[in-house]
Amino acid sequence: MSSPQQFPPREATVQEALQWISEGRCSSHDLVSRYLDFLETEGKELGAIVETFEAEALAAAKLSDKRREQGELLGPLDGIPFTAKMNITTAVGTTDASSAMLVGFEAGEDATVVRRLLGGGAVLVGKTSCDEFAMGATNETSCHGVVANPWDRSRVPGGSSGGAAALAGSHGWAFHLGSDTGGSIRLPAAFCSATGLKPTWGRVSRSGLIAFGSSLDQIGPIARDASDCALVLDCIEGADPLDSTSLHQLDESRDPIEKVALVSEGFGSGIDDSIREAVRAAAQEMEQHGVEVTEVSLPQLHAANACYQVIATAEASSNLARYDGIHVGSRVAADDLQLLYEKSRRAGFGVEVRRRILLGTFVLSAGYRDSYYSRAQAVRDLIREGVDHALEQVDALLLPVSPFAPFPIGERIDDPIALYACDILTVTANLAGVPALALPCGFDEAGLPIGMQLMGARGSDHRLLQFGQQWQQWTAHHRELPVGGAS
Amino acid sequence: MSWQTVVGLEIHAQMATRSKMFCSCRRETGLDPNHNICPVCTGWPGALPVINEAAVRCAIRAAICLDCTIQRESRFDRKNYFYPDLPKGYQISQFYRPYALGGAISFEREDATADRLPLVRIHMEEDAGKSIHASDGTSRIDLNRCSSPLLEIVTEPLGMSGIEAASCVRSLRHLLRWVGVSDGDMEKGNLRCDVNVSVRPDASAELGTRTELKNLNSFVSIQRSVEVESKRQIEVLEKGGTIRQETRLWDQDLEVTEEMRSKEDSPDYRYFPEPDLPVIVIEQQDIDRERQSLPELPAERYRELVDDLGLDPKEALPILARRENCEFFAALLEAGLSATSASNWFRGEVLRHLNDRSERIDQYPLAAEAIAVVVKAVEEDRISVGKGREILQQALDEQRDPNEILSESGEQISDESALVGWITTVLSENPEAVNKIKSGDSKPMGFLMGQVMKASSGQAHPRLAQDLLQKMIEQD
Ligand SMILES: [Zn+2]
Repeated sequence: MSSPQQFPPREATVQEALQWISEGRCSSHDLVSRYLDFLETEGKELGAIVETFEAEALAAAKLSDKRREQGELLGPLDGIPFTAKMNITTAVGTTDASSAMLVGFEAGEDATVVRRLLGGGAVLVGKTSCDEFAMGATNETSCHGVVANPWDRSRVPGGSSGGAAALAGSHGWAFHLGSDTGGSIRLPAAFCSATGLKPTWGRVSRSGLIAFGSSLDQIGPIARDASDCALVLDCIEGADPLDSTSLHQLDESRDPIEKVALVSEGFGSGIDDSIREAVRAAAQEMEQHGVEVTEVSLPQLHAANACYQVIATAEASSNLARYDGIHVGSRVAADDLQLLYEKSRRAGFGVEVRRRILLGTFVLSAGYRDSYYSRAQAVRDLIREGVDHALEQVDALLLPVSPFAPFPIGERIDDPIALYACDILTVTANLAGVPALALPCGFDEAGLPIGMQLMGARGSDHRLLQFGQQWQQWTAHHRELPVGGAS
Repeated sequence: MSWQTVVGLEIHAQMATRSKMFCSCRRETGLDPNHNICPVCTGWPGALPVINEAAVRCAIRAAICLDCTIQRESRFDRKNYFYPDLPKGYQISQFYRPYALGGAISFEREDATADRLPLVRIHMEEDAGKSIHASDGTSRIDLNRCSSPLLEIVTEPLGMSGIEAASCVRSLRHLLRWVGVSDGDMEKGNLRCDVNVSVRPDASAELGTRTELKNLNSFVSIQRSVEVESKRQIEVLEKGGTIRQETRLWDQDLEVTEEMRSKEDSPDYRYFPEPDLPVIVIEQQDIDRERQSLPELPAERYRELVDDLGLDPKEALPILARRENCEFFAALLEAGLSATSASNWFRGEVLRHLNDRSERIDQYPLAAEAIAVVVKAVEEDRISVGKGREILQQALDEQRDPNEILSESGEQISDESALVGWITTVLSENPEAVNKIKSGDSKPMGFLMGQVMKASSGQAHPRLAQDLLQKMIEQD
């Protein structure tokens, strides 16, 4: 009975895999089964995947194959495997935000994004590791252990959606849900040579996302290319009655992006030469294809990271107050209430999370609030205005994702200032609430991936993705796979 | 020296909506602990609040009848503190930009003059759960009340007595109940009051340092705590001491206030804008719509009852106590009763029944029309007043239609020969009683009358029977 199975090439995108399935060269069941093998072996070796749902996924894939046979597909992603980050709730498995505080926590319900994808026939295959409560830029703070960069396993994959990006960087066929508060989709996408979108704030429901900095958080896709990201966004975007900050009117414009401006501050000191050169070269490539490229200065960018640290930690200090050992979260017994709080929270939260809670509590406290939180809000308004103003002149702003290449595991973890420097170029999009797309744009001399990002006006998510697709037709960086990853 | 007591109030009123402030759980009490909860009101990871629009409409109604200026844009903020009955670790409230500013509570001074207590603001917020501390030292948490919708009404300080402070809260409660904003039930905790008290040498002096008395849950405790605390402050000041700004607890049993925490120890709530909720926009048309749907306010109804229908003001007050009372009274009039008899039967019977049964009028099982039929039977002399009362009581007890009981029990019998028959029997069976009456002791009259009514199964026309009984004893 069994014929030798055929599979799409390992780097194949979701759409290419769908092509294979629709041509009958393999079934969704074959694809999902083979992808689960990858997760169980390399996925686990990388530390990227925490849980897989083999039985459920294979059953779902079988149903998808049946639907395909009967011509009753639920949507364009029917039969395609996907993972969710550990801070996105799923009815199956656990949702622990990679924190000891929540280990074993069963949410019992799917986040809106997951529900929409499952409703479209996509197959949930597992949960990916991330930094604890999505706080980190290296995926070193996960209670499930360090995640390795598939391009050099001694280096960090970026964070906080490191597991998702490590998978997308080393294998195709699937897509991954990440979340981005200050760069947590884009930085790991850049470090692992994947494509990732931080959507406009409000475009994608946050219902079911374990909150970090609510006014900054967005769920978004990480995949092999921009066109896969667009398919995913199509499925997950739109108003949700469970999230009253979700946008009721989406900008559906697909006007092509014709004018791009390099942001000077993204090419100054502190940015690696190889990265500056790679992104400038990308701009030249765009110019050769008829895109008008200019340069703009956004001096507000210098204040962005400080502003971000204040607002994100302030909101986090409040969002994480619910993990008190009484209701949700692990409890350490104690004789009185105050001790129970202290012991439970000290035991449940890692060092980085505790640092941010303390910082956030401080910037909101009486006597300091005006100098920190209130000022940060004022600076945020200036940043938003600056970005909006710049985007009145051009269709998109171009800058690197990270100031430096993926660095060795352990290099920055004990130096928070050095760690927070990873975010300097990404936080602006979160503060301004605008979409930002991270695209692979080359490799440095050591063969480590380099990513660039395009920021557009609020609502221009699909325009960015369309431009990303164009860029990926002109170039092939996104097709590369790490050596040793070939099947 | 003649000291003046100055009082400011912070009143929490639970809004009478169907569901909670930010989720679709029912706003109910009396359910088993933790049986009326969901991921949103218990702060489960990933769950987000969604504003209950009915609560906003309710809040608009409150602001309209308290003459507040409703803000076009307002916002929710987070009030952060740790407590086991607060599962999110913060309460969603309105701190920086409340939805309503200004306004006033109309109330009556001790000398019966009308006055107004100005408001600072009203804001919306969610309630916390309940901590139940058992005598064995264990504590239990019931989250059913979590996220119930509250209004916090904050007044300016004003010179007034304890009685007047209670009168303000009573007046506010009356209004909130009237327009359906709150059940205002202090025993159930859906109306709670914090009182700020200070004293000053005379009404023109600067305000003194205030102390805050938390969670007063009866009119008596509001009145007495103001009286006791102001007396305490005056004693301290007259001895040359100073008042510290602090929060004090009212001990209802001992009638004393005790220090709870000083201003320095008060928690830092680290308020900041709630990022999970959009700005609330209330347009003029939203306000107009609520204004149009408001019932006639109590002052207008009072004029109707007293000026148009000629009721005594004392009779009008219990009818005005709640809007639902007024509506029931109007239904009695509608069913054909005169104002006087509607008032008598409403106050004498309906309110007594409610009191006996600890019910509210909207839970009252008898319809105004059915009551009117019984009252008419009395007025047309077909049954006695006592019989009428009895029928209504029986209808309540047996959950039956009063008309049915009325038709079964038969009408009052005025036929003299029938009356004579019953009386003759009673007199012959009770010779001692008859002798006592004849010897000048009229006490057994009532007993004999009762026997006659019993013999007639309650149908004897009481007045005629009484007259006849008297006559027959005299002639005996
Ligand atoms: Zn609820």
